[in-house]
Amino acid sequence: MATYKVQIDDVVRDATPAEVTQIEARQAEVEAQAEAAEARAVARQAVLDRLGLTEQEAQLLLGS
Amino acid sequence: MGIPSGYTSAQVVQAVPTGINSALVLISSTTIGNAVSSVTVSNAFSSTYDAYQIIVSGGVASTDAGLTMHFGSTTTGYYFFQNYSFYNSSTLTIDNRNNQSNFIAAAATTGGLYGNIFVNSPNLAKPTRFDLVRAVPLTNSLGGIVLGFENSNTQHTAFTLTTTTGTVTGGTIRVYGYTNS
Repeated sequence: MATYKVQIDDVVRDATPAEVTQIEARQAEVEAQAEAAEARAVARQAVLDRLGLTEQEAQLLLGS
Repeated sequence: MGIPSGYTSAQVVQAVPTGINSALVLISSTTIGNAVSSVTVSNAFSSTYDAYQIIVSGGVASTDAGLTMHFGSTTTGYYFFQNYSFYNSSTLTIDNRNNQSNFIAAAATTGGLYGNIFVNSPNLAKPTRFDLVRAVPLTNSLGGIVLGFENSNTQHTAFTLTTTTGTVTGGTIRVYGYTNS
């Protein structure tokens, strides 16, 4: 199991097993969100490519 | 001219002086330790203030990352909208998140820690609202905003910042309260 240090106010100590689980779960969630955002961007670009639109043209049409 | 009574400097108010009806009051200042993955500020919120400003500054991260935030022990029910654009792109990304366990609240880079988080009603028996500017000071990164809330009536007293990866060292987390008057 990885080791982490946590700080409660001014006290720094090693994370308990439960805290390690929580830290890794939060980090995994952020990683999953980043991957999902990346997948959405790739999918958007694929649609633009099929339509023959540049990103700027898409923004003019769709607003974002 | 000397420092007025009730002030410790020209800017920082430790107690609201008589005759002053509003102020931003420093509640706590926490120095981040060495190579930590999370920092909890235990007594940040109370019934004294309804609204707070949290500033994270100084310090460094072991790698370019972010700091997520959650209130107290609540790790569900965070709803937020965020938009952002990379500095080298004209694409504006709009992103909606429902029932998350946290939200990204600050930038943690090898050059420094940067957070500017406004929190409304964390200690009231109401949902807690948060909004923040997310501007990562890296030329290949992004700037944007995050607007959202934590959907419970829990009266929070604490918050925790957790790295999205790596660790943080040094720097300060300052919590300010807006006087209710």
